[in-house]
Amino acid sequence: MEPHHPRRAPTGAMDPPTPAGARPAMSHSSAFLLPSSATPAGSGDAYAVVVLNQRLPRFAPLLWDRAQVRVCADGGANRVFDGMPELLPGHAPDDVRSRYKPDVIKGDMDSVRPEVKEYYSNLGTKIVDQSHDQDTTDLHKCVAFITDKSPGPDKSNLCILVLGALGGRFDHEMGNINVLHLFPNIKIVLLSDDCLIFLLPRTHSHNIHIERSVEGPHCGLIPIGTPSTSTTTTGLRWNLDNAHMSFGGLISTSNIVDEDQVMVTSDSDLIWTISLRH
Amino acid sequence: MLWRTIRSMEVMAHSSNFLLPKLHQPAKTPANNYTLVVLNQQLPRFMPRLWAQAKMRICADGGANRVFDEMSQMKNDLDRNRYIPEIIEGDMDSIRPEVKRFYSSQGSKISDKSHNQETTDLHKCISSIRHRTPDHEKPNLCVLVTGALGGRFDHEAANINVLYVFSDMRIVLLSDDCLIQLLPKTHHHEIYIESSVEGPHCGIFPIGAPSTSTTTTGLKWNLSDAEMRFGSMISTSNIVDSDKVTVQSDADLLWTISLRNLT
Repeated sequence: MEPHHPRRAPTGAMDPPTPAGARPAMSHSSAFLLPSSATPAGSGDAYAVVVLNQRLPRFAPLLWDRAQVRVCADGGANRVFDGMPELLPGHAPDDVRSRYKPDVIKGDMDSVRPEVKEYYSNLGTKIVDQSHDQDTTDLHKCVAFITDKSPGPDKSNLCILVLGALGGRFDHEMGNINVLHLFPNIKIVLLSDDCLIFLLPRTHSHNIHIERSVEGPHCGLIPIGTPSTSTTTTGLRWNLDNAHMSFGGLISTSNIVDEDQVMVTSDSDLIWTISLRH
Repeated sequence: MLWRTIRSMEVMAHSSNFLLPKLHQPAKTPANNYTLVVLNQQLPRFMPRLWAQAKMRICADGGANRVFDEMSQMKNDLDRNRYIPEIIEGDMDSIRPEVKRFYSSQGSKISDKSHNQETTDLHKCISSIRHRTPDHEKPNLCVLVTGALGGRFDHEAANINVLYVFSDMRIVLLSDDCLIQLLPKTHHHEIYIESSVEGPHCGIFPIGAPSTSTTTTGLKWNLSDAEMRFGSMISTSNIVDSDKVTVQSDADLLWTISLRNLT
């Protein structure tokens, strides 16, 4: 959604690059994709799930069960209503729907079907109509809502899992990727049936723990928005060593994870992507 | 008012009239002067029309499986012989042996590039097209690609990178939902909107590097000497408000517009 009165982006220099040695470490793990028996109870991470308006990936029920907060962005509510019973065909649809009931349906309400809205409203789902706010995308509104709602100033154990952000209309996909850049200090993972992506902010050095039973081996590092003059990795088949990456030049795609830990340091924000196993 | 010198920049015109049914295309336009490249994802619903009106058809590796399996179903006609690509090119690690045998027997040229593992299948196809095109025909060259978007994100990024690497060629990536193409910063762009088949949703993205100054006309929310950057403002969910959109920028930009009413 465009602002009604477009204005220049804030001027002023971007933050100067942090020297490599001074960067704090950030860890990443896809343990949320493991079957529930495999993850330790009380592991400390708090998950939220956001569902956007595209077909649910096959692991949607697993992530929903794992989350403490579940938000549907507008037509995402249709997808949960229609899609959850399809993914769990052994159960009565109404049982599935009441079990997989969103906490909130949020957005400008131009896609959610009236009967779906009413159904969930009757079950206690909070409906937050934001049709007046055309300045931010649905995902942006959902992330802002979840971070406001999560207790305490420290969001470091909050991880927002987003379904339906990739594929479909390309401008929506780009807007969703921009949300990762707009909230660099919040862990937000965009998931599809084929892969997941998340931001590796330049302010940190990154340890990515690979859950080989559910992800890999295909991976990539993409400098979306700004070229990188220096990126270094370990753990990949084709590691980067102080390498330049840019659109029009080299970007790291069709790479392979070779070890259980991948480390990445860069002078630029990068998008990490890894394939999901079927 | 501050006057600024306007660099005289060559105009690059864009039109999606290749998406129109043949009957509706303007006379004497090279609208069917395009090469079609098919990558390995489900074919878009308008594929039969795109196929029929192409000057040449190239399947990139597993794209041949897609044509073999899906094309005749789309046309409700079981005759595979009607949809034979002129060329099948790539590293051949996805194409099924029986598919390769069938098309080879029907006259498709098989261009095996498996020795080259440095570049993607799309890169190889574009490079070959360029190599085969005589210089005097290069300005009219247009390549339409299906199956480049969606699926694995690193594949999508690599396919978008092909637009940047071959920025002097017109390459359009198409899906069921939208098309995308590069607007190089070297030109002032005029995009003619075919409203029967595209729009109204559109967007402009500085994927490679930020823009300090982008100006548009013809959009509902135009940009006026605006900065655009990931992490700040980018133009998504914009709306085309005119038959002609113009874009001028100090950065290479990706243009996208939604597709509609295509079968």
